[in-house]
Amino acid sequence: MTFEGVLRALVFGCTGYLVLLYGVHFSLMALGHVESRRRRRERSVDDPDTLATSRFAPGVSIIVPAYNESGGLPDAVRSLLALEYPEFEVIVVNDGSTDETLDVLVGALELVAVDATSRDVVPARPVEGYYRSVDPRLLVVDKVNGGKADALNAGLNHCRYRYVCGVDADMAFAPTALTRAMREISGDPEHIVGLTSYFENARDPARALEQGLQRVGPDTRPLFAFQTFDYLRAFFNNRTPWARMNFMLCAAGAFQLWRRDVVEELGGWSAEFTCEDIELTFRVHRTLRERGRAYRIAALPDCVGVTEGPDNVKNLVSQRERWQRVILETCWANRRMWFNPRYGTVGLLGVPYYVLSEILAPVFEVVAVGTLLAGGVGGLIDWREFAVLTLLVTFANSALTTGALLNLDLEARAYRASGVARLLGLMPLEMVVYRPIMAWARLKGTWRFLRGDRAWHKFERNVKAGAA
Amino acid sequence: MTAASLVLVCAIACGSWLLLAAAIPITRLRARRRLPTGRAEVTGGWVLPASSGEHAGRRPVDETDARALLERGLRSDEREVRVAAVTALSGLAADHEWALDGLVEALASELETPERVATELDRLAPRPGRRLAPLVGHPSEIVRFYVARLLGRYPELARRHVAALTADPSPHVRAAALETLRAAGSADTLRRALDMLSDTQPFVRAQASRTAVAIAGVGAASFVAPLLADESWWVREAAREALVGVGSDVATVVAPLVDAGDPALRRGAALVLQDVGAVDALMDGGEAGALERIMDAGGGRLRRAAAERACGRREPDGTRMWLEQVS
Repeated sequence: MTFEGVLRALVFGCTGYLVLLYGVHFSLMALGHVESRRRRRERSVDDPDTLATSRFAPGVSIIVPAYNESGGLPDAVRSLLALEYPEFEVIVVNDGSTDETLDVLVGALELVAVDATSRDVVPARPVEGYYRSVDPRLLVVDKVNGGKADALNAGLNHCRYRYVCGVDADMAFAPTALTRAMREISGDPEHIVGLTSYFENARDPARALEQGLQRVGPDTRPLFAFQTFDYLRAFFNNRTPWARMNFMLCAAGAFQLWRRDVVEELGGWSAEFTCEDIELTFRVHRTLRERGRAYRIAALPDCVGVTEGPDNVKNLVSQRERWQRVILETCWANRRMWFNPRYGTVGLLGVPYYVLSEILAPVFEVVAVGTLLAGGVGGLIDWREFAVLTLLVTFANSALTTGALLNLDLEARAYRASGVARLLGLMPLEMVVYRPIMAWARLKGTWRFLRGDRAWHKFERNVKAGAA
Repeated sequence: MTAASLVLVCAIACGSWLLLAAAIPITRLRARRRLPTGRAEVTGGWVLPASSGEHAGRRPVDETDARALLERGLRSDEREVRVAAVTALSGLAADHEWALDGLVEALASELETPERVATELDRLAPRPGRRLAPLVGHPSEIVRFYVARLLGRYPELARRHVAALTADPSPHVRAAALETLRAAGSADTLRRALDMLSDTQPFVRAQASRTAVAIAGVGAASFVAPLLADESWWVREAAREALVGVGSDVATVVAPLVDAGDPALRRGAALVLQDVGAVDALMDGGEAGALERIMDAGGGRLRRAAAERACGRREPDGTRMWLEQVS
């Protein structure tokens, strides 16, 4: 085969991959719209805030694992304690922070040292101390460092309610977060064993929530806007249809609500993986399907809060390469589920989707860039065709993002018209500015996975303790 | 592929994006223009949803139609229809007895999630009370459980009807009955709660300890205190919380237990004494021997916590001395 023939074959391969990938994305987006429409119809006849004052609201234990989170943690805890829900507790687990996290928390929330007891239902590193505040719903557990999964397990050992909700320490929560989430669960408590939800992204979550997202609009600085696009697509184009087809692949760690008995039955979160959220979601699917149990993991379209997005490219790459690594780790660890009818839609649709969109993507990205360079050097590229193809992918990607934004708008009218216009204006830039960064992050994540790197590579927080 | 066809495909993609983008302001405008939605409301006559037409999204229906429609809705296979029926019945029940009956029927026949129906019935208190009482003998334990809890709003009815449920074969119902009777506390309830401290099910023992202490206060403490060494964490915690709820008076009952033979009981007692402030009081100037016995019973973490609290309350020199003592 000639050099030109090889290049042509590679171009066809990459184009075929793109067509297949976008075909799947557009199909999921269409299904997401159908599902969102059904939900809006259902919600139009329901009062979602009924649970806020109900004596029958199922209790929720919120676990906040924290490692070196002195900046935003007190605000996150305050926003949790202000949730409009009748029955919940907040368990903050200080996972052996090396900074002043515990001191800041003790000072900000007027905590006092006490002793308490643990149920010890799942293994976790030793507890060194407990702190309580005048608010009896708050318990702070100070333990030896063991990673996020271990901290969640330590929290689980102190939970007393039927549901557990693992959240990120850098998030600020909307007062209605639990009411809306539990209302969704109360519609089918027998089958819904887990739930994840949509959340926004901002540089300073507490400030964004305090000022009101609708009033200030989305953060339209390009790096944050592009992350917002990612979150929108991930929720409205992915999680919503995944939930509909019952193959939710990731109950996001920033807000993951589970039935406690299920998490305990599975032995808690696994500390063997880089991230704990995708792994637990896969394990729930695998175990419950192997045991022949009927269950669902739901997706809630309401915005439950605001998470802190990286405010520079270095931190963004660090975060996204970790996400790529954990997808690879989880998919590899669960490889017996791949295309396996025993695991229903998870095996036949879910895992193949991850293989197509996440695992193969870096491979094709490298091949595409290599082909482009080789073609450019060999003078075999028709640059007009290349430009038109780039435009085509740019518009297709913008259409996907706009579809997700439309769904959010129909759900919540989350932004002012000016904010929506600014986001729409930035969409075409995503392909040329943001996607190359993501491609690099995914490549880096894949390389680190192949090297067996399991480190968290935590990035520096935007909000520092002094500024909080 | 020719350049022209590529441009065409590109134009289609661009058009799709622009169309979706245009849909955002269009749907906003439509929502603004849309007349009130078809949520069931009573405005002089019956008003139920209609899809469209000259009635601007609503059409009046008579009461018989409305009842039949909502009854059908409650039995629907579609969840959103059942939810709509429950919400509509709840809205109508404020003024209409048949709607209230419909909700009670929905609970009794478990047509929709009982928790959801119970929430609506609870909001309508005190009107559903007498309709709920007959359901204490319902064959379904789920219905009995919710009825036992719903009757918590009606002390008189609870005393009359829920007491029998403390002997229910279902432990969930027994626990719910105890919780309800706690508010309507009586000597009979106390007697039942004390009997149930030895129930086979941990969550019944937990509720029994809360109920006993809630009714009799420190008088029940000596009966509940042994549960600080219960095999179940839930019962130990419930007993501890119940005893702590009594306040510092409970110290006289619990203090001797720090010398008990059972280490779990000693530790439970030490935790109660910590939580009622007895440890801090002793640190501020009490009998050193008593303090040391509590520390020994509680263990290293209780001792460290006490030292840390002392650091916050004492002058630096005093703190240093205290830390030297405890370490």
